[in-house]
Amino acid sequence: MEDPYKLLEKWMSSESFLVVGRGVYRVDSLDKALGKALFTEDYYIDYFLENALFIKQVLSPLPHARIKSIDASRALSISGVYGVYTARDIPGENQVGYAIPDQPLLAQGKVRYPGEVVALVAARDYEKAIKAAEEVVVEYEELPALLDPLEALERRDVLIHEERGSNIAFQTRVRKGNVEEGFSKAQVVVENEYRLHHQEHAYLETEAALAIPESEGRITVIGGLQYPHLGQKIISRVLGIPMSKVKVVAPYIGGGFGGKDDEGPLTCAKAALVAYLTGKPAFILYSREESIKIHPKREAAVIRYKSGVDENGKLTAIDVTIIHDTGAYANRGPFILWRATMHASGPYEVPNAKVDGYAVYTNKVYQGSFRGFGNLSIQFAVERQMDLLAEKLGLDPVEFRLRNILREGSTTLTSQVLDHSVGVGEALEKTALKADWWRKRREIEEYNKTSERFKRGIGVAVAWHGISTSRAVPDWSNAYVKVELDGSVTVYTGIVEMGQGSPTSSHVQIVSEILGVPVDRVKVVFASTDAPDTGATHASRGTSIGGVGILVATAKIRERMASLAAKLLGVNPEDIEFRDGRVYSKSDPSKNISWRDLVREAYARGVEVSATGYYYLPKGRFDETVGQGFAYPAYSYIVLITEVEVDTWTGEVKVLRVYPGLAAGKIINPQQVEGQIEGAIAQAVGYTLMEYLYFNEKGWVVNTNFTDYVVPTAKDMPEIEKPVYVEDRFKHGAFGAKGVGEMALIPGPASIANAIAHALGVNITSTPLTPWRILEYTRTSGRG
Amino acid sequence: MYRLPGFEYYRPLSLEEALVLLDKLEDAMVLAGGTDLVLDLKTGRYKPKSIVDTSGLKELKYIVDTGEALRIGALTTIQELVDSPIIASKTPLLWEAAREFAYWQIRNMATIGGNLCNASPAADTAPPLLVYEAVVKAVSTSGERYIPVTEFFLGPRRTALDKKELLVEVVVPYRNLERHGYAYRKIGRRRGHDISIVSVAVALRVDDGLITDTRIALNSVAPVPIRARSIEEFLLGKEPSIDLFREASKLVDRDISPISDVRAPAEYRLHVSRILVEELLLKSYKRAFKGGFE
Amino acid sequence: MKVEFVLNGKKVVVDVEPNELLINTLRDKLGVKSVKYACGIGECGNCTVLIDGEPVLSCLTLTVDVNGREVVTDEGLSREGLTKLQKAFIEEGAFQCGYCTPAFILMGEYLLREKQNPSIEDVKEYLKGVLCRCTGYINIFKAVLKTSSRREDSGNA
Ligand SMILES: Cc1cc2nc3c(=O)[nH]c(=O)nc-3n(C[C@H](O)[C@H](O)[C@H](O)COP(=O)(O)OP(=O)(O)OC[C@H]3O[C@@H](n4cnc5c(N)ncnc54)[C@H](O)[C@@H]3O)c2cc1C
Repeated sequence: MEDPYKLLEKWMSSESFLVVGRGVYRVDSLDKALGKALFTEDYYIDYFLENALFIKQVLSPLPHARIKSIDASRALSISGVYGVYTARDIPGENQVGYAIPDQPLLAQGKVRYPGEVVALVAARDYEKAIKAAEEVVVEYEELPALLDPLEALERRDVLIHEERGSNIAFQTRVRKGNVEEGFSKAQVVVENEYRLHHQEHAYLETEAALAIPESEGRITVIGGLQYPHLGQKIISRVLGIPMSKVKVVAPYIGGGFGGKDDEGPLTCAKAALVAYLTGKPAFILYSREESIKIHPKREAAVIRYKSGVDENGKLTAIDVTIIHDTGAYANRGPFILWRATMHASGPYEVPNAKVDGYAVYTNKVYQGSFRGFGNLSIQFAVERQMDLLAEKLGLDPVEFRLRNILREGSTTLTSQVLDHSVGVGEALEKTALKADWWRKRREIEEYNKTSERFKRGIGVAVAWHGISTSRAVPDWSNAYVKVELDGSVTVYTGIVEMGQGSPTSSHVQIVSEILGVPVDRVKVVFASTDAPDTGATHASRGTSIGGVGILVATAKIRERMASLAAKLLGVNPEDIEFRDGRVYSKSDPSKNISWRDLVREAYARGVEVSATGYYYLPKGRFDETVGQGFAYPAYSYIVLITEVEVDTWTGEVKVLRVYPGLAAGKIINPQQVEGQIEGAIAQAVGYTLMEYLYFNEKGWVVNTNFTDYVVPTAKDMPEIEKPVYVEDRFKHGAFGAKGVGEMALIPGPASIANAIAHALGVNITSTPLTPWRILEYTRTSGRG
Repeated sequence: MYRLPGFEYYRPLSLEEALVLLDKLEDAMVLAGGTDLVLDLKTGRYKPKSIVDTSGLKELKYIVDTGEALRIGALTTIQELVDSPIIASKTPLLWEAAREFAYWQIRNMATIGGNLCNASPAADTAPPLLVYEAVVKAVSTSGERYIPVTEFFLGPRRTALDKKELLVEVVVPYRNLERHGYAYRKIGRRRGHDISIVSVAVALRVDDGLITDTRIALNSVAPVPIRARSIEEFLLGKEPSIDLFREASKLVDRDISPISDVRAPAEYRLHVSRILVEELLLKSYKRAFKGGFE
Repeated sequence: MKVEFVLNGKKVVVDVEPNELLINTLRDKLGVKSVKYACGIGECGNCTVLIDGEPVLSCLTLTVDVNGREVVTDEGLSREGLTKLQKAFIEEGAFQCGYCTPAFILMGEYLLREKQNPSIEDVKEYLKGVLCRCTGYINIFKAVLKTSSRREDSGNA
């Protein structure tokens, strides 16, 4: 049996597991604990320090300008400088836009944000490269700059991309039912404008790549990126050479969070370009300041949201406008906007809906992938609305949500019927019970009556997040698995290891589970274009989707080995069981053979012991003109209940405690899942309370270091309770897993904001909730 | 990733030698813990021709109690202040400020002398030292002099020190503050380490029901760390009360001139300065009287 | 200048310019990988090392300043296998990308040396200077606390 769908179904139905669902230690543990794990720069230092060229980037200081000339002569006269490269030197296509062909690798003709890369300087060492970069003289003709997306939307006289005819990079829409009619049935209507801000990824390892020219015109790149095959494609395009000549691998990555999904391939392409042009190994490493200036950020958004409910507390209609400040380039903006658009209802049933999305160009650092991918900002709006509607109706926020929550058989915003894996209602109820929601809410309200300065609050937020790429955009999993002669197993996948642990824990667990070999006999070669294209490590897909290919390939091998073992043991294949490195007859365990011997037999008897596992996600049709149809094969869901304390005099907010509840299918490794939740909550606390980009009047990001851009420290963390799990298995995910990586960040800001709103009795419509913003909100009620 | 520009490096083995070097060298800078200077060299804020590395001068690392004052060697680290029971008991405001200062690794490197000489408006040892009316001892080959901390800061990154002088000691009188109540608080953007949005140190003395001395100092709200003289004068001779402290705190507007920057808007700095002054006056009063207003 | 110091128990001699930073000497010349660049300005703690037993930042330290002193990095904490704390980091899943892990382990070891039985507040105070963007710190706290109680157990036994 080799049919991938049947194989997955078979494994999905297993009830008991050997290693899946347990907290197996990650295979990268030892190296990481001992400080031996190698990241990109470590390869450079170990093998290339004296040989590779160091690349430094020349950045635009202006938000919007025409490039009149670039004079590199002074830079080139410095000894040890090999070259200064600009758009002109690109042998292939200077085009790296992921969704729309609007973005050059190196500025061409124009610059569109401060920080845009104009030239690359390659020198023998770091010092020379820095010096030379300062000597490259670029003459600009400054153009009027647009920094505000609402202004850019209206303006026709200033175009950031002339060829597009307006400053709108992309538009989306949903039309479902009849919105006017929906609102006419509403008892209560709430309407607000929300403003969400940018977020910097602040991964601790900055962007880096090392490119090595090899024989036969091949090039190998070692770099920090989330999708090696995308890097391969971009490099091949920029250099104008076949993809088969480009090999890309990512070593351990010091954090990605989406940022290295966008910037990673470009980082690799810059190094590859220099290596290709000079014939020498070339290394690029962004300083922290460059990293913050150059790479895309979480989108800033303006969201106008109107929603109505009838007298039974059921949503009747929503009317939503989403405006994303997409910055200088569209990047993944269209996908981000689609995700925001299709999640605009939240995890609730809404019969009538109108959603319009606009991604608008401005002359600022562009927006891109960041854990949550457009969904954080829209869920913020949704979940604030839900609280406000509940309040107007006099309903408890949890109760009100439960009346509208998606359940099996529900129809989503895009009119897709959810046929399975919808555990959100149960997760919400259980989390509320665990948090003692109803009692706490009462007690807090009592407390606040007597406490003048310090106010407490408890808030809830729920979120959904579609699994896989959206709409009918193809998505697949793919892997190559081979059993070595000694019985150990090697797996090749394109999924990367950036901390999330899929190739170093869950992938290993999957193989170990199916073949019954110990975890330490399984080696996953990750993040390599030597593996078949596995898709990116983003969208929380590393385990659930990334793991399916591995599951399928491994299951194929198992079927073959089971037949062989059956023959050797004289039993039938259904009676075969694999565990602890041996293969047994279930009915008569005295009949058994070691896995190793079985492998040797397979080699001797012509049984193929390697396999690829390809799994194409079945999808439905989607009509983009009305935003209706198949959006995602399933959704992950999360509930966060958050307790806060606010000092109404200083505006300081302290997040005290968070109760998470997760409906993300099968939990393959609970410890890893908790780590994902805790890390995401840290980023949510940071985003909501202290992280923000500070733009000056020229569109510069002023806070480009960790003194000025602050992220949460050990002292800023709330207590986080053990999550409630509802294991609503997903039929296309490895063992029924959906996705976890992004989940807790998505409703995090909403949950904190709802708690603050509860504490202060004010309507919160914007982020970040810095102390001064809190004081603005309380000015009417408190001591402003 | 970062490299420092080149410089001539001197590592004196005695104070004498250090002073001679400072006298002789053109365009030299003193290196102590390096937590400010190394950074400023990296970013190119300073490009001195030579560096006189004083970090080996063990003789400038001490905390001595004279019975009237503490004498603190300039190279004493912030962590040494935190770890010192003498600092904790005799100059509790300085101790509290040291505890809130940066984080462990930085506190192990950063010196009290460096904190003052760097003259950042946000220097965290400054508010307590302004309250204690500490005096710094500056020496050069031509002699020594004492400069009150209240006159030490001339502007952002500018001090009363001459290029050829070395700050060797901070003298912190504590005897005349033993009957004061005191309080300290630092506000930043997060609970972990951060440059202060504002730090405030307060000491208050009440005799026979009337305020006889108040000292209030703030950082990050003016070009240099400063005393809030208007409030201090206003409170003198008055009978302490919650309302009085609230009224007094509003006068902080006259003493400070905050600016807006990445860390906070000016209006917020003004607002929390008031809040903190009020809060800390009350706390100081409660400490002095182990209870406060009934 | 010739600089001599003890690195992870072994004497090393390096020739450096006075403006060389310890982080660069360790990483570029002495094969130390655990010390990481992340911010370059002393804000992230990822380049922490122990000098004469005290934690400091190698990105703000001149190499010439460690002449005659002792430098310990994560690699040098244990001669044989894993320390208890390193083991606890593995068991508690106290890291994800692993970039900041060595600095946390150094600070954790330092804390456990200073305080046998630290409170959660102590743990936060000692660790607050190392930034981690992946874990949310919680499992790191667990690993440190777990190690401390274990030490106490073995001490009582
Ligand atoms: C991450 C980080 C966090 C920080 N947090 C804080 C904080 O919370 N609060 C705070 O106040 N500061 C903070 N700082 C700033 C810095 O740590 C302190 O100002 C520190 O006290 C400086 O002391 P140092 O010994 O490191 O000085 P250095 O950097 O060695 O020197 C600083 C300046 O003083 C001069 N100098 C030093 N000693 C003498 C002397 N004896 N005589 C004459 N001139 C001298 C130097 O030439 C230089 O100009 C922080 C810095 C960093 C990197």
